[in-house]
Amino acid sequence: MVGITASSAAEISARPGRRTLTSVVIRWTFIGLSLGFLAAVLLAPLAAVFTTALGEGVAAYFRSFADADTGAAIRLTLFTAAIVVPLNTIFGICAAWAIAKFEFRGKTFLMTLIDLPFAVSPIVSGLVYVLLFGAQGWFGSWLLEHNIEVIFALPGIILATLFVTFPYVARELIPLMEQLGNDEEEAAMTLGASGLITFLRVTLPKIRWGLIYGVILCNARAMGEFGAVSVVSGHIRGLTTTMPLHIEILYNEYAFVGAFAVASLLTLLAVITLIVKSLMEWQASRASGN
Amino acid sequence: MNGFREPSVLPGFGLTLGFATFFLSAIVLLPLAALVLKTASMSWADFVDVVSSPRALASYRLSFGASLVAALINTVFGFIVAWTLVRYDFPGRKILDAMIDMPFALPTAVSGIALTAVFAQNGWIGQYLEPYGIKVAYTWLGVTVALTLIGLPFVVRSVQPSLLEVQRDLEDAAETLGATPLYIFRRIIFPTVLPALASGFTLAFARGIGEYGSVIFIAGNLPMKTEITPLLIVIKLEEFDYNGAAALGFVLLAMSFVMLLSINLVQAWARRGVVTARR
Amino acid sequence: MSITLDQVTKQYQGNPVVNDVSLAVAEGEFFVLLGPSGSGKSTLLRAIAGLTAADHGRITLFGRDVTQVSAREREVGFVFQNYALFRHMTVGENIEFALRVRRVKPAERARRRKELLDLIGLPGMDDRLPTQLSGGQQQRVAVARALAHKPKVLLLDEPFGALDAKIREELRRTIRSVQRELGITTILVTHDQEEAFALGDRLGVMNLGRLLETGRPTELYTRPATRFVATFLGAANLLLRREARSGSDLAPARAEGETDSPLRDRRDQEVVAMLRPEEAELAPDRDALLTAFLGYGHVEELQFTGALERLRIRMGTEGAARSSDSRSNEGETSAMPPVWIDVTRTQPEQRAFPLALGQRVAVGTRRIHVLPTPLSSFTACAESRDSAAILMGNPWLVDLTIRMQTRLSAQVEPLVADDGADPVVAPAGVAVVTAGPDCPARVRRLLARGVTPVLCLPEDAAPPSRVIVHFAGQVARRSTLAVTASLLRHVPAEAVFLGILPSDSSERTRTAGLRQLLDVRSEAQAGHGLDVRTELRLGERIEELLRELEAQPGQMLILGLPEPGSLPESFEALLTQSPGWPVLLA
Repeated sequence: MVGITASSAAEISARPGRRTLTSVVIRWTFIGLSLGFLAAVLLAPLAAVFTTALGEGVAAYFRSFADADTGAAIRLTLFTAAIVVPLNTIFGICAAWAIAKFEFRGKTFLMTLIDLPFAVSPIVSGLVYVLLFGAQGWFGSWLLEHNIEVIFALPGIILATLFVTFPYVARELIPLMEQLGNDEEEAAMTLGASGLITFLRVTLPKIRWGLIYGVILCNARAMGEFGAVSVVSGHIRGLTTTMPLHIEILYNEYAFVGAFAVASLLTLLAVITLIVKSLMEWQASRASGN
Repeated sequence: MNGFREPSVLPGFGLTLGFATFFLSAIVLLPLAALVLKTASMSWADFVDVVSSPRALASYRLSFGASLVAALINTVFGFIVAWTLVRYDFPGRKILDAMIDMPFALPTAVSGIALTAVFAQNGWIGQYLEPYGIKVAYTWLGVTVALTLIGLPFVVRSVQPSLLEVQRDLEDAAETLGATPLYIFRRIIFPTVLPALASGFTLAFARGIGEYGSVIFIAGNLPMKTEITPLLIVIKLEEFDYNGAAALGFVLLAMSFVMLLSINLVQAWARRGVVTARR
Repeated sequence: MSITLDQVTKQYQGNPVVNDVSLAVAEGEFFVLLGPSGSGKSTLLRAIAGLTAADHGRITLFGRDVTQVSAREREVGFVFQNYALFRHMTVGENIEFALRVRRVKPAERARRRKELLDLIGLPGMDDRLPTQLSGGQQQRVAVARALAHKPKVLLLDEPFGALDAKIREELRRTIRSVQRELGITTILVTHDQEEAFALGDRLGVMNLGRLLETGRPTELYTRPATRFVATFLGAANLLLRREARSGSDLAPARAEGETDSPLRDRRDQEVVAMLRPEEAELAPDRDALLTAFLGYGHVEELQFTGALERLRIRMGTEGAARSSDSRSNEGETSAMPPVWIDVTRTQPEQRAFPLALGQRVAVGTRRIHVLPTPLSSFTACAESRDSAAILMGNPWLVDLTIRMQTRLSAQVEPLVADDGADPVVAPAGVAVVTAGPDCPARVRRLLARGVTPVLCLPEDAAPPSRVIVHFAGQVARRSTLAVTASLLRHVPAEAVFLGILPSDSSERTRTAGLRQLLDVRSEAQAGHGLDVRTELRLGERIEELLRELEAQPGQMLILGLPEPGSLPESFEALLTQSPGWPVLLA
């Protein structure tokens, strides 16, 4: 949608009488400033990731993945995401259904609470779990008695990641479902469809692109979360280090190729996420364009 | 009709709201309550001692100062970028548009090490700044650069829709009435975009205060100089000073609430701005 | 009866959006619900479909109580204003949806799909996506989809709202013929009276959540019972007319409808009359008129609109149309200020008597219909001109008179009369007085002169959201019902008939009291098309009323007096409380 309207907005500068010298100068100054700014803070770092990763050749790049600890970090990250993303997806769908399809008291308040993890510092997100499950925490002694490890172990990492990526699917779906309205669902109801069938056959096909983007974004954030996980992980090499934590370790050991090689994987993931987003917007503009 | 939205008769309300509320309470609210209660269990003197220690104060100065500067930079450049993306057609515009969201999707640790590589003394950009005596990496400037990257999409994505919105009817009308482009910008475009700009600024500022991953690599982390507040919490935790960590965490959390509140206020104002602009 | 609604009520945030609606639609009937936007007609339709839960009342479809049944089990076909086609499914898949969720076999589904596409005139369009169709075609598909599972009832919610005029007409014809062919009971909701006339076997007109009147289109057009229906179904001039005690014998026009008027034997009463623009006749002077003379006026606006000519005549003071403050024993009709009458003339009429702007004409009336409403206009009665002006400024009163499209005038009435001699003319219509300590005396004086109804209005009166109706004795029953019905058509409030019996009354008396209340309900329903709730209380009359009124703010009382023309002392407490409530004495 943005794309289509943007080009029609661009048409303004092509109107008769608009091609004065000043406007041309302003135009190229703006484009130049934008490109320069984005190149410095956005493009250069991205390029740096890949050039450094491949700095000692392709062989060295792939060799860095052979490292056992790196492999363990990748597996841990995938495992964490495999648990966190479905949970937050279910939550997101439930929250979006309740918020977008119904009116109830405290709805705005609920939406603010869902947004809360966006506003909270990732360090605080990790800290709260340490205070809850850490040795001196509320449940600390109980967990110790029963020999359950949460902090500095996998459960802590999963909890912290859940917290940080909590809003993504819901935030993506709520405006989408609100905009699509209830008409089609109500039509399905009068035609005799049950709630589940209505969701699967009527709602889901409409929101699938938004859902896919929400899930992918949630996944990218889950795999890439650093601050919160860093607080609860304990940095035990090969055991509780996720990919971003492993990057930190390698980087601090001056193993730049290794660090940037792992970083390049996460960067690719980010690029894929953005491609999916563009596809989604393209779909949306096609749907509304007709 | 009727000015109310009709309550829906679709099924599943209890189930979905119930699960959403339960999950929200378990994952978000309970842990945050733990932080608040932990802080509340400290004596007032201890609390003040921790949160107003010179080292803490220095970290606030850096976190707030750098976030503020970064948010201001983003307000200026974010507007320019948004304007360019909305108003001008040039090769690669769509790709550039898509890439604005990169900082949302990119892990913060990756942006941290990548920025450090670029702005280090021998980095692509750092080497050109070095002769002028400008050191970015491992100074407060580096922190600002990292926070600029993190905050960029907030400003651009806030401003873009309002720029799209303003142009059609209002601008056309002003032009047929004989206004010059500069006048149109000053009296019509800028007032309409201002609320969105303020909203973007607040979002970027709020995000900057809590940011950790992208900053610690480029900051240098010298106590009293380039140590941000989130890092100070991590250090307290590593020293097993849970009370100190909780107290500082509480300060950050309180800041988040203030920010969340002001974001809501700014956005409410922005919505009103849009409505008035439409009229 | 295939669709029966019994006192269906729906509130949003305390405001009744559908207010006590009862309705019965016969099998195979095409019923049109007509009303302005916000009148609650769509909400009512959605309640029938089960898309909105009714707060109160009962909905029956073919004898089955479906009030608590979910939309998916009601077996209705619903057509939405914005089509609500499943946009990711083809036309065929859309039509088959209802069959698919019922696990109908593919062969049967395909047969039915073809049948329906033929029926709506879009054969072979199976594989199109909704976005590839025009608006009219999409709405046809929506109709076909709603019919696929052979529902017993078809509900259409403004189905032509988003279409342009030509396609609208075409689709109208399609829907009418589909409905005739299938003989399916249909309710259509619209705000367009032309559409309603064209489609409906019967119409129901809704406003402010109430179903005001139902009837065949011609009936409602020529003999509406309410101001709203009169003006909503077409252009209408509403006129105020004073009639002498002996009836309307000297009325200038043939009047219908007042035979059943409960006001019949009141002295010198004012009634509301409706004159359709096409029922007015224009002539150079009184003698040239073929019909009853109304008055002289000047042509102020003249518009040629094709088949008809529209004129607006400003009535002068000569002739019978006079300022209504003057009293005359003659039947006298006066238009409400500003005194204009809208007239339409056909081509032959124009040719017979060509008119120009400013020309003086005599206006005659072929047919006048008197509305059976006891609330004709309002007169604020107060000690001085200033206090009358304050009373006239009451926002609710102003709002009410605007809604009723009637006149609000002032009259100075000294509180203490000299030996009962009445220097002043009795106020017209409803007399309005300020509630308070002086109120009972003022009311008594008005009642003694035969003035009813009287409205006692507290200074800070707010629009009521609940109206309590009570009459003390059977004498007042008819007039109370008539006043209640008339008022409630213009007030968006719920109404409760309160019956009060002494607390020591026997079981038998109680049963009788309850039966009497139910009789009242059916009388209100039959005589006035008004649906109200009933409640029975035990206790002392005035105490119970006070308790009810004090229970919550925003209430009003309609009180039928035990004897016409007198106010019992015990009733004074109802008029003097502070903060008070509006009381309408009938």
